[in-house]
Amino acid sequence: MGTYTVSNAQNLRICVVMVGLPARGKSFISQKIVRYLSWLSFKAKSFNVGGYRRKGAPRPSADFFDYSNAEAYKIREQAVKEAVEDMMKWFEEEEGCVAILDATNSTRVRRNWILKLCRENCIEPMFLESWCDDEDVVLRNIADVKNSSPDYEGVDSEAATSDFLERINKYKEVYQPLQDDIDKDLTFVRLINVAQQVVINRIETYLESRIVFYVMNLHIKPRYIWLSRHGESIYNIEKKIGGDSSLSPRGLKYAAKLKEMVKESAGDRDLTVWTSTLIRTQETAQYLPYKQLQWKALDELDAGVCDGMTYEEIEEKYPEDFKARDEDKYEYRYRGGESYRDVVIRLEPIIMELERQENILIITHQAVLRCIYAYFMNVPQEESPWMSIPLHTLIRLEPRAYGTKVKKIKADIPAVSTYKERGTSQVGETYDEKRKSLHILNSTSD
Amino acid sequence: MSDEMTLKEGFARKSEVESVEHAETLSITTGNHMARTRRRWSRSSQDKRHKGQNLADNVHEAVTFDYISPGQLYSTESGRLFHAGKILVVLVGLPATSKTLLSVAITRYTKWLGVRTWSFHVSEYRRRMAGVGLEEFPIDYFSARPQTAEGSKVRNQILDQVSKDMLAYFKEGKGQLAVYDALNILAEERVQLNQQFMEMGIKVLFIESVMNDSELIKHNVEQASKSADYVGWSKENAIADYVHRIKINKQLYEPMTREEQLSYVKYINFGEQLIVNNNHFGYLVNKIVFFLMNLGEKKGCVYFARCGTSKDDKYIRDEVLNEEGLQYSEVLTDLVLKTINARRLTKSKNAVIESWKNSPKIRAASSGPASPSPSPLIPTHETLRRSESTGNTSVRQPATGDGGDEDSFVVWTAPRKRTFDTAKFFLEKGITVRQKSQLQQLHPGLVADLSKSQIKEKFPEEYREWKKDPYHYRFPRAESYHDLAVRMEPLLLEMERMRGDILIIGHESTLRVLYGYLMACSCSDIPSLQFTRDELIEISFGPFENKVRKVPMPSYRK
Repeated sequence: MGTYTVSNAQNLRICVVMVGLPARGKSFISQKIVRYLSWLSFKAKSFNVGGYRRKGAPRPSADFFDYSNAEAYKIREQAVKEAVEDMMKWFEEEEGCVAILDATNSTRVRRNWILKLCRENCIEPMFLESWCDDEDVVLRNIADVKNSSPDYEGVDSEAATSDFLERINKYKEVYQPLQDDIDKDLTFVRLINVAQQVVINRIETYLESRIVFYVMNLHIKPRYIWLSRHGESIYNIEKKIGGDSSLSPRGLKYAAKLKEMVKESAGDRDLTVWTSTLIRTQETAQYLPYKQLQWKALDELDAGVCDGMTYEEIEEKYPEDFKARDEDKYEYRYRGGESYRDVVIRLEPIIMELERQENILIITHQAVLRCIYAYFMNVPQEESPWMSIPLHTLIRLEPRAYGTKVKKIKADIPAVSTYKERGTSQVGETYDEKRKSLHILNSTSD
Repeated sequence: MSDEMTLKEGFARKSEVESVEHAETLSITTGNHMARTRRRWSRSSQDKRHKGQNLADNVHEAVTFDYISPGQLYSTESGRLFHAGKILVVLVGLPATSKTLLSVAITRYTKWLGVRTWSFHVSEYRRRMAGVGLEEFPIDYFSARPQTAEGSKVRNQILDQVSKDMLAYFKEGKGQLAVYDALNILAEERVQLNQQFMEMGIKVLFIESVMNDSELIKHNVEQASKSADYVGWSKENAIADYVHRIKINKQLYEPMTREEQLSYVKYINFGEQLIVNNNHFGYLVNKIVFFLMNLGEKKGCVYFARCGTSKDDKYIRDEVLNEEGLQYSEVLTDLVLKTINARRLTKSKNAVIESWKNSPKIRAASSGPASPSPSPLIPTHETLRRSESTGNTSVRQPATGDGGDEDSFVVWTAPRKRTFDTAKFFLEKGITVRQKSQLQQLHPGLVADLSKSQIKEKFPEEYREWKKDPYHYRFPRAESYHDLAVRMEPLLLEMERMRGDILIIGHESTLRVLYGYLMACSCSDIPSLQFTRDELIEISFGPFENKVRKVPMPSYRK
């Protein structure tokens, strides 16, 4: 394989090389890291070697993974090469920042090969090993794999489990875990039995430490997150943005109803309610019988000079700004105010906290909710600011190992629409097939 | 805070009666001994403390009963961060393994986060007890297992006192986190500590500092020979004495293993490797581990400078620099480079410097790979090491641009136009300039661009409230300093991670918060800290405290 030239040596480039036997949660971790970093606007992508292998061997049996099976080995070798080649191309052509090589990378020979290739291309590899000898955890992971992996599509459940266990055994024959002495010069992280013991070696950049901290906060305990906008406010009715107004009579009705809606959805769970510091979210939370915390970070996107105006007024007074915002809503920063990107950065501690916590209800604002929703549902930046999240609707998210499940609960209390489409200053929705994906209520699962 | 400030205030007494009892149980820590050590901690600035800018590092100041820290997310009636519980952090390790530095750093960070933290340094207890000098101590006091009866008597006496004080701190002082800075190298002692505190519902986390890098040890021994223990000693004698302390303990040292079944973090060679074991404490411990991952010995300094001026000085308009602002930027650039170069030159053993002027090759090596022109900074050994290892696939490649190297220099600015433009001359010289959105100034909300008297007139009630608590009060639609601190937290970690020099060009509000972290200022001090355009603030790092120096700006106004 050739050397790839690098022009942007100033920028940090990291390749997270996953290490570990099958069913150790490597793909789960890879996906989460990509989600977290992309949401923070780092260019990140996971390269799953299994996906490449499937091109040559769509549904192999355990024998395929026997290291003495020369023909199969060639196919597997080819898959790794293709994945790495694509990864290098991605670094170069798309100016990637963090790539995840999601494979077992179980032998030292393989890892050294990747190491050398990365360094030749000014990419620093960080090895992330998930090591586990806890049978229960492994079996739970196998159950997840066989439900989600294309390798076992249509295969009887028991047969799949035993085949998979056999596959793991084939890997065990050659597996060389990372070792403190031999690998002491590498940057690596070992997660032992989820995170009972964590070994962190030679973390040399801030970005790496952020990734490790994030991974340490992940948990897979079952839980829910509820999201709601505040009830309809006076400003909503007046079509004004921003401000700090109170709820309208209909908004107050929603606040009253929210209590039963949450109770019905959450049962006896003890929730914590997070609101912003603005009046309308606190009024919405006023009847909820749970502990409540106010976060400044949950305040609505600051519209700067346009605060308190209607879209029509903005279009008239700041026509260029109005146009610029429609063109790149994610990056556009209101004069003296914020952009969606700014909101995401201030929400980062909230996301980290949400990953750690169990049952949380968040009552906040349209733009902030879009950003939080985008994180859990992997919504790309160009779409997230255009998502429609109606008033008077409770959203329940259920983060699972491979994606997040969404449930919407409508309060059935009428409210104005605050949705503004691209290229108009009118609020309100005109339902359009093309925009279907932007309507969160039409995408009920990830 | 004055000389009379004693530890007991840190324990936050509710009534006079309790206070008297407390003074008895804490006989070592109160009275003149305490005042004396306190003076040593902040001697340089003792007299200036109530006059304007506070130049002392307050990390060792007691936390009062109603203390609220700068970055505290929320507070409960118990005064504890609600989901973290009580934790005792126990340092473990031989002498010369930076235990004190670690305990001070953890104290600084967690205090800032809003955790009621207090560090208990056994060395401080011992010095206070000795009163005058080291000579009076039994010869084998410094062994973890003294052989003489007298030695073990004094040792036990001191350790008992610390342990009593720590318990009192948790029980009566509403403490949430205590940091215990002592050897703790015997397994039996650790098990006993763990048992004693766990029984009271206090979780115990051990942080074992291991050093097997001889360069690091040598450096630490040298640092120790300059410590308060060796005032009046010759350097050779001090080093010999300290090396002896290490030697007698080395043979007793029982490193921590999984078999002990304790929760611990092994911190090896100053963060080269971290091992986290049995971590069931969640939030706070993860935070501390994240912090430790980023902590390192800082060789460089942090510089603070205001941004240049603009025409009308209006917030909303996001103005560009005016002519004076441009002149200021230019003079600032020269001053910062000159200051950094002067510091490099004083490290005279650096051979690279000798040949620097004559060798274009070395000059070229001092700039980053992306910079076409030679760096305006004097190269160091670190620079050479970097240029030699670039492209060598057998070693980890240096990460340029994020301050990982000892001789790196990075400029941070806020995203506002005039702040970013203040750094333009650095950018022209090929120095890394990073725009940080967290450095966005405090949002003034509805009081933007109003003078104090205008605010008083338009928002009389809000103004009165603000006067009462300028740190936490939020004008309508504005950010409070507290909001700002929470928003800026990720920057603190990034700052800790950077080994070299950092210049932060920002609005006064953001400089106040960062300065407040580095010098452990209280909420009541932060909003009134002053940064002018007539001086550059330099903060250098020490194991026990940080130091501030003001560098006057040459004239730039016409």
